[in-house]
Amino acid sequence: MSTTATHAHDDDHNHAPKGISRWLNSTNHKDIGTMYLVFSVVAALVGGGLSLLIRIELGEPGIQVFDVIGEMMGSEAKQFYNVTVTAHALLMVFFVVMPALIGGFGNWFVPMMIGAPDMAFPRMNNISFWLMPPALILLILSGVMGQGAGTGWTLYPPLSGLAGQPDMSVDFAILSLHLAGASSILGATNFITTILNMRAPGMTMHKAPLFVWATLITAVLLLLAMPVLAGALTMLLTDRNFGTAFFDPRGGGDPLLWQHLFWFFGHPEVYIMILPAFGIVSHIVSTFSRKPVFGYLGMAYAMASIGIVGFVVWAHHMYTVGMGVNYRAYFVAVTMAIAVPTGIKIFSWIATMWGGSISFKTPMMWAIGFIFLFTVGGVTGVVLANAGMDIAMHDTYYVVAHFHYVLSLGAIFAIFAGFYYWFDKMTGKVYPEWAGQLHFWTTFIGVNVLFFPQHFLGLAGMPRRYIDYPDIFAEWNMVSTWGAYLTMTSTVFFLIVTLIVMIAGRKSVANPWGDGATTLEWTVASPAPFHTFEDTPDFTGGNPAAHPAE
Amino acid sequence: MSSGTDFSRRNRRTATTAFVVVAGMVGLTFAFVPLYTLICQVTGLGGTPQVAERNETDVSTQEITVRFDANVDRSLPWDFAPNEASVTINLGAEYLTSYRSTNLSDEAVTGISTFNVTPLKAAQYFTKIECFCFTEQTLEPGQSVDMPVTFYIDPAILEDELANEVQTITLSYTFYRTLDDIPDEEPEIISEADQVITTAQVGSF
Ligand code: HEM
Ligand SMILES: [Cu+2]
Repeated sequence: MSTTATHAHDDDHNHAPKGISRWLNSTNHKDIGTMYLVFSVVAALVGGGLSLLIRIELGEPGIQVFDVIGEMMGSEAKQFYNVTVTAHALLMVFFVVMPALIGGFGNWFVPMMIGAPDMAFPRMNNISFWLMPPALILLILSGVMGQGAGTGWTLYPPLSGLAGQPDMSVDFAILSLHLAGASSILGATNFITTILNMRAPGMTMHKAPLFVWATLITAVLLLLAMPVLAGALTMLLTDRNFGTAFFDPRGGGDPLLWQHLFWFFGHPEVYIMILPAFGIVSHIVSTFSRKPVFGYLGMAYAMASIGIVGFVVWAHHMYTVGMGVNYRAYFVAVTMAIAVPTGIKIFSWIATMWGGSISFKTPMMWAIGFIFLFTVGGVTGVVLANAGMDIAMHDTYYVVAHFHYVLSLGAIFAIFAGFYYWFDKMTGKVYPEWAGQLHFWTTFIGVNVLFFPQHFLGLAGMPRRYIDYPDIFAEWNMVSTWGAYLTMTSTVFFLIVTLIVMIAGRKSVANPWGDGATTLEWTVASPAPFHTFEDTPDFTGGNPAAHPAE
Repeated sequence: MSSGTDFSRRNRRTATTAFVVVAGMVGLTFAFVPLYTLICQVTGLGGTPQVAERNETDVSTQEITVRFDANVDRSLPWDFAPNEASVTINLGAEYLTSYRSTNLSDEAVTGISTFNVTPLKAAQYFTKIECFCFTEQTLEPGQSVDMPVTFYIDPAILEDELANEVQTITLSYTFYRTLDDIPDEEPEIISEADQVITTAQVGSF
């Protein structure tokens, strides 16, 4: 076994390039991962700030914030409210969740987990990252130029067409998504190549860690779904600028075509955001239960089948367009079918904890929080899957509650879980346990106070995407806004503590989590040296990172 | 173990495959545009009626009611309405009806219409032989015309256990000004003022 030799070797070669060119020209998977994480935090601050504006506005009936902001931005209150909602969603989806889970943790840990020295195409990796800042700038321009793009993240024509929003703001949004999409496609190609070809000898796919599986499946989904979005966006762009009529009935087009194309991308996209989270949570639950993951192969193939079935359920977002009853029956059935592999995952996590010697450290708390919140969101998803129910619930706050439980609570909890799990490995510092626990509990309470009442609002009939509402909805909206304040306070606390710890934290060790941590990243020092696994570890005799049973 | 160059060749092959998949998906996306129209026509998806050269079905004794509906997009300065509100005919019988259009403006205007039938599941039995909606229509200033539609309902609807309970079918058209005919002025902005919600509306959810 060569792990000790690897250590010595790594330390010899731990000279990283200095200065700005270390980052601009970076080809190192850890540096690029770090840049993605920082990028994601920056976007999260903007996107989170926007969501706070939305919640302040909705805290009481009437228009109180956006009349002022709208005027400042040279737009009108209701339009600028829609712009804010649109920018919030696009930021969170394309510039926060995806860069953190895929670009950030994926770049940092996929090569290390498979014992590879870096990604397959390090320079392409650099391009993938550096496409993102211009994309972000274009997105911000789409919000502040002209009227702003107030189309919703789904960009439905005719609202997103010339008839709806004639100025250039929507074009900026389209170009921004084009760049972000190109970045994702390059990144996905890199991950697929790395995972298929560069695993350590002896590490068959059936021995690869679940986060590696999750990243591979996510990358395949990206490869199949992103080009469809790119194609549809191109059609929208030419409809707006070059006189084509893909989505315009006046020229023989059909606006519903957009919805089909968008959701053919959009549904896989929601799994793109959650599969890496599944991978992270599996590792954490196993580590802190000191047991291997229950039903490893079942977990891997559950993710694969979620990915495949995810491509044939898209029209559950379109039940209200006037769809024949047979088609609705089909989409109800396949949508519900996805709950089966999803259930397999939930039960396997619980079975992993069952009988384990569980320690409720910060990462484990976030992982368990994830499982709970994701299950709530999954249940409301199955409710919405029923076309009959959905006719009433579509575009109400019930849907908003559903996708925030799976996304902003599910995916974001997994990001925090991964952050605390790998913090030592990435920074070499110890995160104080009390601060992590406090952050967890305040966020957990905050987001539940924030989003749970939105189920009631939706059931009572409050539609989404409006700046104002009738007085009968006032109480739960006020509660929801309090939840947002608590969550925001918790986030500020987290940012401050993190900055302090990064500067003045105690030094950590290679493996702070003990026997349960059995993937290769725990065999190298913390922080991980600039170069790791230049001597490939050998899996043929078993996992070199596994600890002998006590 | 494979040597370095073997390795990078394998990587390049994988990446090339990935890019081919991406290009293929972009191609499929554009191929889906004509395919989508075709799928609607063939399956009646979204209430798209069928089109036939002539009626070759037998006339049944079973009757069905067809209602006629007309809508005009605000970009089109036309009056557009059916000449009869509804008709009750035998299944399989060919029927000729018409819609009346009047150009209210002082310039020649070209329109194009979209159409569908409800209930959606009846669409695959609703067959048009002739229709003004197959082509663009141009009206001179002030001109009025009667626009014909010839259609029949396929008696095969009786054998469809999901659709044979249908008693009434609505045929609906929406007329738009064609894109090529729209004057080059700044397009109007959809008014945000339409967005005010009232308690009465909410109560009906
Ligand atoms: C058990 C699995 C799930 C089922 C059955 C399900 C079902 C649904 C349905 C039927 C809708 C459409 C509701 C409507 O617009 O009327 C919907 C919306 C949505 N779902 Fe899920 N869902 C599931 C899991 C997820 C996951 C894992 C995510 C993301 C991580 C997600 C994200 C979303 C989003 C973002 C929307 C709203 C899209 C929009 O209209 O803006 N869902 N879901
Ligand atoms: Cu979906």
